[in-house]
Amino acid sequence: MVEFEVPEIDYDRYSNRQLAVVPLAVLAVALAVLIGAYVLTGSPVALGIDFTGGSELTVQTSMSASEVRSSFDTQPVSVQAISSESNQYVVTFDADSGDVSDFRDQAQSSGMTVLGSGTTPASFGSQSQELALIGLAIAFGGMSLLAFALFRTFVPSIAIIISAFSDIVIPLAVLSLLQVKISLGTIAALLMLIGYSVDSDILLNNHILRRRGEFYESTYAAMQTGVSMTVTSMSAMAVMAVMATFFGIDLMSQIGFVLFLGLAADLMNTYMLNLSLLRWYKFEGVAR
Amino acid sequence: MSLLRENWRIALLLVFVVGSGIALFLPGAPPGAPSGQSGMTNLQYGIQLDGGTRLQAPPVGITAEGVDVDRNQETELARNLSQAFGLQPIDIRVAAGSNTVEVFSKNVSQSELQSALEERGHDPETVRDGVTEATRNDMVEVIRNRIRESALGSGTVSTIRTAGGQTFISVSAPDRDADELQDLIDERGVVRILAGYEAENGTYVTTPVLQGDDITDVGNVRSTGSSFGVDVTVADGAADRLEDEMVEYGFDQRTFCNYNNEDPQNSSGRCMLTELNGEIVFSARVRQGLADLFASGEFSENPVFTSSTNSREQARELEISLKTGSLATTLDFDQRRTQTLDPALAERFRFNSLVVGIIAVLAVSGMVYLRYKQPRVALPMIVTAMSEVLILLGFVALVQYPLNLSHIAGFIAVIGTGVDDLIIIADEILQQGKVATGRVFQNRFRKAFWVIGAAAATTIIAMSPLTFLGLGDLSGFAIVTIVGVLVGVLVTRPAYGDILRYLVLSEEE
Repeated sequence: MVEFEVPEIDYDRYSNRQLAVVPLAVLAVALAVLIGAYVLTGSPVALGIDFTGGSELTVQTSMSASEVRSSFDTQPVSVQAISSESNQYVVTFDADSGDVSDFRDQAQSSGMTVLGSGTTPASFGSQSQELALIGLAIAFGGMSLLAFALFRTFVPSIAIIISAFSDIVIPLAVLSLLQVKISLGTIAALLMLIGYSVDSDILLNNHILRRRGEFYESTYAAMQTGVSMTVTSMSAMAVMAVMATFFGIDLMSQIGFVLFLGLAADLMNTYMLNLSLLRWYKFEGVAR
Repeated sequence: MSLLRENWRIALLLVFVVGSGIALFLPGAPPGAPSGQSGMTNLQYGIQLDGGTRLQAPPVGITAEGVDVDRNQETELARNLSQAFGLQPIDIRVAAGSNTVEVFSKNVSQSELQSALEERGHDPETVRDGVTEATRNDMVEVIRNRIRESALGSGTVSTIRTAGGQTFISVSAPDRDADELQDLIDERGVVRILAGYEAENGTYVTTPVLQGDDITDVGNVRSTGSSFGVDVTVADGAADRLEDEMVEYGFDQRTFCNYNNEDPQNSSGRCMLTELNGEIVFSARVRQGLADLFASGEFSENPVFTSSTNSREQARELEISLKTGSLATTLDFDQRRTQTLDPALAERFRFNSLVVGIIAVLAVSGMVYLRYKQPRVALPMIVTAMSEVLILLGFVALVQYPLNLSHIAGFIAVIGTGVDDLIIIADEILQQGKVATGRVFQNRFRKAFWVIGAAAATTIIAMSPLTFLGLGDLSGFAIVTIVGVLVGVLVTRPAYGDILRYLVLSEEE
């Protein structure tokens, strides 16, 4: 029978520096990926039509993907098959390549059945970009203030903020590497991640700072609860990501994927980065 | 009584669960729910889960605000401006009450309006893109009526503010495709009846004699021999005026009509012209019977006549335009956002997303069971998490919020956070040492609650920007998540604490 037990890690064997260097290195790589993508393409991540504007058709046809591609007067940006249904494709067009009504007509006159369509004007897309950034900034700022309000000391609060930051940056870097086009759903997932990922950090800080008891004992208690929490959430998100991808429900698969990655990053950040900062604070920082 | 007092948390959970069940399943329970609706629940579905079309576009127009204008100058200024810009009088709206002047045309720039008003001594404070709220509300009303009047009548119309502060009009209709919906609202629906006659100097004159507003009652489309028409009743005041004008232009005499649509100056005779959206759609002579009524002055006693068109479609458009009134301005379809989905595909999304949700719940349950290996701890945890989802669904049904895919994702996120918190409570209460006394239990529960409360507060803060930023469907996702977290922290998770306490106490005995 499968057992799910949180392993007890022998933290004594590692110095704070050793513990912190791994998550910090991963964060640095993630930031480098995003900056590199920004320099190369002008955007840290590939933007979907929610942010660039453009049109999208869902069509049913017996044609192949390349036949679908060549059926339009203007070249589509992408033609993507839906895995759970044979003969269905999602076709995406740039904002400046024409009007969605024309694409519908072209698809129909080539014998495809148009099951769905959508269009977002470019102006709307660039506003959404701006708003999404504002939203992320407000959410992150609010979370940071709350972290300070809860613990009222610098190191433990900043530990939460750094790991939350890293939890957002790492999934974004993965999306950037995989060339996944982000949508409004991704933004929702990132905001959700801010809320989700600090749970285990708050739990750890709370056990170590606000409870009596020896450091490693508190750490292990917090880990038992925290890892169970995160792994449970990850299982829900993995299921959502895999199933929704299979069914071709992009929005849900993206939310699931981003949250899964973010929570995985959070396991590392909480129990390596946050923990090493707290241990330093508890044994050396306070003594100063 | 003390039983209730001790178990008020569980009691509260039960009240919420029962209430949600009623809101969700009792037909007609939520206020404003459409009656006689098919389907098992009172849930409303959006485009993504029900199919149909949503179209969002800004109204065409610019508005000068803070314009110094008196009520008695309104008509004069509107006429002046329309002449200056080469527009129709209905393309300008001057409102002394709100000190605004609106121009409903893409061809007039903000600076042109600014200087035109300054020249006439009505200095505006600002000139901006978009129309006034009053105009938008008028448009929403007209579009709503049009959808109701047209064949398959259901849909919602509202205004939404976009990121850049623009206001869009959003129209959703579950049972039509994009072209149909667009055709219904792409014209202003301005109807005029004109009299065409030869003036004394020999030129052919067309003068408006009736506007859409002058008509009080509109019949249904009927076939009138070779053409189609609708019976219209002219309002009392307008009927007298119409009668006088018809006599003045000679329509009380035996007459013929030969109207030339390409070159109106080549027309002859006396014609009644029906104009729809600036285009003459029908011309005809006045029948002898009606001419006699004009002559004798009996027309105004029963002011009904038939307004005709050449095709049934045009007659239908005429009917809908007359019944619902005209739109103040058109929508700017170049800037439209649309989403349309085949109902069959939407149904598949609905079913599949439900499957995804159920499997996610099963995955969570499996993890919880593997972690605790005691059904007495794991089972209530799963049941509590499910009740949270039920309460949320009840809430969504109660407020009749149309569900979309993002909300289902929100539900799954709520299950995730919910179970997280239940794990915190379980671990805290089940730790070493007995819970025999209420004080120990209370103490542990309070400790667990501090973490849960802090975590909930961060989630709410993280989600709150989405509720007011206007990023499409995401406000729904954020609202569902925030309500879910609040219900969880205030109702379900405390109740789980109480349930656990019973289980633990009975074990210790």
